[in-house]
Amino acid sequence: MGTVEYIQHHLTNNTIGEGFWTFNMDTIIVSFLLGALIVFVAARLGKQLETGTPGGFQNFVESILDFVATNVRDAFPGHNPLIAPLALTIFIWVWLMNFMDLIPVDLLPWLFQLITGDSHAYLKVVPTTDLNTTLAMAFTVFALILYYNIKIKGVWGFTKVFLFHPFGKFFVPFNIVMTLIEEVSKPLSLALRLFGNMFAGELVFLLIALIGGTLAVGAAALFWAPLQVLLDLGWLIFHLLVITLQAFIFMVLTIVYLGMAHDEGH
Amino acid sequence: MSDTPNSQNNEQQNKAPGAAANYLMLSAGSIFTSMLVAGFLVGYFLDELFDTRPILMLACALLGFIGGIQKVILLTQRLDHYQPEKGKNDQES
Repeated sequence: MGTVEYIQHHLTNNTIGEGFWTFNMDTIIVSFLLGALIVFVAARLGKQLETGTPGGFQNFVESILDFVATNVRDAFPGHNPLIAPLALTIFIWVWLMNFMDLIPVDLLPWLFQLITGDSHAYLKVVPTTDLNTTLAMAFTVFALILYYNIKIKGVWGFTKVFLFHPFGKFFVPFNIVMTLIEEVSKPLSLALRLFGNMFAGELVFLLIALIGGTLAVGAAALFWAPLQVLLDLGWLIFHLLVITLQAFIFMVLTIVYLGMAHDEGH
Repeated sequence: MSDTPNSQNNEQQNKAPGAAANYLMLSAGSIFTSMLVAGFLVGYFLDELFDTRPILMLACALLGFIGGIQKVILLTQRLDHYQPEKGKNDQES
């Protein structure tokens, strides 16, 4: 398999269906399994909660809860019992989906090919490198933004934002288009940022994997293989920061956008 | 009496931007590009609606560009207003 085919193979989803009704099964199954993992661990931990001296894992989960709660208090004006659980779910789920990027790029596709017996079976294991996932999450947040805008400001209040913001009452047609663009840009910026960062990260991992995979022939492998390990380790440590930061930014921006929806003066 | 609103205003401007504002600044670049892309998208759909391709698409892209710049300026202005108090920093260090 050539270099281009190798990269293309890794970046192709395992799909069923055709056209508009194409389902990326690997994305759906991996994201569902990671979601189920969160539910399973949370339910298990919930049954074993200790009030006296909590164990290590409970301490770790409590520190994450505390971190998310602090951010919600900092960025969200007012009170809404939905925001903190939503922020926590987004943070952990996006982080776990991003974390799939740190598993060696060939390991899971190779295992999948062994299990299915098809040496060309596709498997793209990082759900956030699929634009469908990031757009789906961003549109869900966008639906909540619209819902709370209408609920808090009322239909007329929300319409007024479209009519008189940002250029004042004498430029109503411009205001409508401008506010429309502003609202559409919210889910776009959420989705494209996460997708772009994760896709680029995955691509760099693939390129590093190619150093040892295709360039090393004979004695040259003695040089290229350690270089690959070194580069992989460096990029992995850096990428650990990237995946955490991206999950955090997605969470904070969700809180900020929902906070703006709750702000009657905005 | 007349000093009160001004001093309140100064206090507000000098307030440290919250963590959330910092992360909005971090994403200023992507907000700018998304405004431009959103402009093209909205314009494209309006063109389809009114059969005026490509006038509205270009006009909306221009509006998105202007709005993107405006948003980035507004975001970065929040940093400009903030000046850490000198005495407080000295004490901390």
